This record gives sequence, structure tokens and C-alpha cells, in this order.
Amino acid sequence: MNGEISIELPMDGKISCRFYLDECVIYNQFSAETHLIGGVGAEIFNVISKKSITRNQLLNYIRNIFIVEMDCDLETHMDNLLQEYQDLGLLVVSMNYSA
Amino acid sequence: MKLAELPKNLIISHLKHWGLKLKIGAFNVCIYSPIDTVSEHLLVLYGDYDIVNDNDFIDFHTVVKSPSIIRRYFRPQVNFSFDGYFPFKPLPYTQASAMFEWGLNWCIANHSHQYLVIHAAVVERNGKAFIFPGNPGSGKSTLCAALVCNGWRLLSDELTLVSVVDGLVYPAPRPISLKNKSIEVIRALSPDAVIGSVVNNTAKGAIGHVRPPTESVKLASVPAMPAKLIFPKFLDGSKTILATLSKSRALLKLVENCFNYNILGVNGFNCVSDLVNDSDCFNLEYSSLNETLLLLTDLSD
Repeated sequence: MNGEISIELPMDGKISCRFYLDECVIYNQFSAETHLIGGVGAEIFNVISKKSITRNQLLNYIRNIFIVEMDCDLETHMDNLLQEYQDLGLLVVSMNYSA
Repeated sequence: MKLAELPKNLIISHLKHWGLKLKIGAFNVCIYSPIDTVSEHLLVLYGDYDIVNDNDFIDFHTVVKSPSIIRRYFRPQVNFSFDGYFPFKPLPYTQASAMFEWGLNWCIANHSHQYLVIHAAVVERNGKAFIFPGNPGSGKSTLCAALVCNGWRLLSDELTLVSVVDGLVYPAPRPISLKNKSIEVIRALSPDAVIGSVVNNTAKGAIGHVRPPTESVKLASVPAMPAKLIFPKFLDGSKTILATLSKSRALLKLVENCFNYNILGVNGFNCVSDLVNDSDCFNLEYSSLNETLLLLTDLSD
């Protein structure tokens, strides 16, 4: 059985996103907080606001946009951001299993 | 019928006994006050406002009077109440007219959730509404008064009301509140401007109110399309700098200046983001009013 990490916006529609050039502003109806997000974070929400995506697909997408010296830096940075946004309730990270 | 068409003694009588009912933009306001400075304030500054018919709904029942007979004579004080609720501590009696204006601001800001209420001045020229959000001291009221004295339409100097339904800015034109040096600045800039009695030693210093132009009061039911969102900052001696502000940053700055953003929830977010999308956004640093007037007039052409 293989597992894939899936990333998506919460299904309840409580997250609203507005995109402006390389930044986005996100409103969380649960916390009533407004977040200004730039850089890699803005790209993450740009992608997942259209459809859910696996972690590896997201990493490949981000790699094509952001050129950094050490590739592992980008991967770590993206994972840290995913964790942070999940803690804030802005996105859902889940494990999907397929036989 | 306009307030100015009523005999002075009848106005005073209404204020003392039954309440004076005025239409102020989208709001019907009943004012009860036996205080002479309040009646004088209304006579000088609210002459162009319509009297509300007796059977019409009143949005805000307000009272400005002494807390007790003792406080009318011993260290005289004044209270503001709205539907029997006292939102503020009493102030010195001499500040009654300023307290009425602050109290009405409080009523509108806290009970008008059909609008996104922004702490901002808003004026209009050539069909374009210019919104100036800012904290006290940013110079928004001075700028607003200067623009209005130069023919711009006043929608509000303090509370910008953006409909959550259609995104338009709805006027509530009222006297423009000037503080300290700004009073003399506007007197010098526009000697014809009618400024009511100056109230000294308030928490904000000396306060004077500029009478809104007749045309602005006449157009108080006509909304305007938002066009420019400008965050002013008065800096003594600075050059006039109008710098483009990114929409994402403007959105966050605007949220900080809203009174009821959290109450409106996602409707507030949608309203703020639509407003930002529909407007060009700027930071403005200025010290010269004349330069700024020219710049903003060019921007509105």
C-alpha cells in the first residue's frame, strides 16, 4: 500500500483568498484573521485554490518557479510553510492511501 | 423643509422638549438637548439639512444634556446618550457640541453594519470617490476640508460607508472636524468657509467644525463610485510624495482602519478586497496643502 501526501484548502469553504501579483491575502472565517502571504506561500495557495495537489507535485511546481542555491532548502522551507499554514487552519495536509 | 427655514425659537423649542429630527445622509437622527451651545452648533452648521417627518423611522435617538441639575452649575458637565445608553464618561459642559459630533460618530460606526465602516474621509470629484483612511493626526480631515473648500463634494470627513451590497460609497456629510492649527490653516486657505465656535481644551485640543457645502448636503442620497484609496500622512516640512501602494498591502492597511470588519466576517473581507480591486492605491506624504490640492485635482481629471 502506497501513501501520498495531499494538500488542499479546507473543504468547508471557510478560507477566502485574493491574489495580487506575487502576494495573496487570505481570510480565515474560523479565526476571523486576515493573512498577508508572499513568496513560496503565495504560490502554494495559488495552486491549491484551483485544485488539491500532492506534496511532490507541489514541490516540482515550486522548484520550477523559485531558483535557490540548495534545493533541499526549498523543500524544507515548503514543508515548514505547509506545517505553519496547517496549524493556522488555512490548508489541510492529509495522507491518501492507494492499493 | 430645511432646518434653516425654521424659526430659531422653534428649533430651540424642539431641541428642549420633543427632539429635533434631521436627515443626515442615510440616517434619521433625533437630537434632544437643552444646551445653548448645541443649538447654536446646529443652527450654524446644519442649516441645509432636511427636517424628518414626524412619522418617519428614527435611526438614532440622541440626548446631550447635563448628568444632573447639580452638574449644570457645579463643575458643569455634559453627557451623551443613545437610546438611553451612555457610551462615554461625562465631559466638561463647554464641550457639549463636540460631544454631540463624537457621539453621532459612535452611533454610526457601531450600528451601521449594512456598510463597511472605514475610519476615513471621503470626497468626490468628476464621479470619482477619493477615500483617505487614517488615524487621528494623519491630516485626513484637514485635507478633506481643503478639497471641499475647493469644490469637491463632501461625503464624510470621518466615516466612509461602503455598501456591502453594491460596493458604492454612501454619503453622510457632516461638519468637518478640524483640530488646533488646522483651524487657522483652513481659515487662511478659504476665508469664506463657515467654522462654528471653537471648543478649547478637549482631549484632542481645540476643535472647530466646518459647515458642509450646501451642494454636498443636497446630494447626500447620491452614492459615489470608489476610485482612489489614499493613505495620507502629514509630515511637517516634507515634500509632496504620492507613491503607489500594492493592493495586498493596501488591503491590510484598510482592514486596520475599519470599525466593523470583524463583525461583517467574510462579507467584510469581500467588501474590502472589492474596494481595493476597484481603486488605485497610494501612500501620500505631504506638508503643502496647495501642492497636494493640485496633485489630487490632476488625479481626478
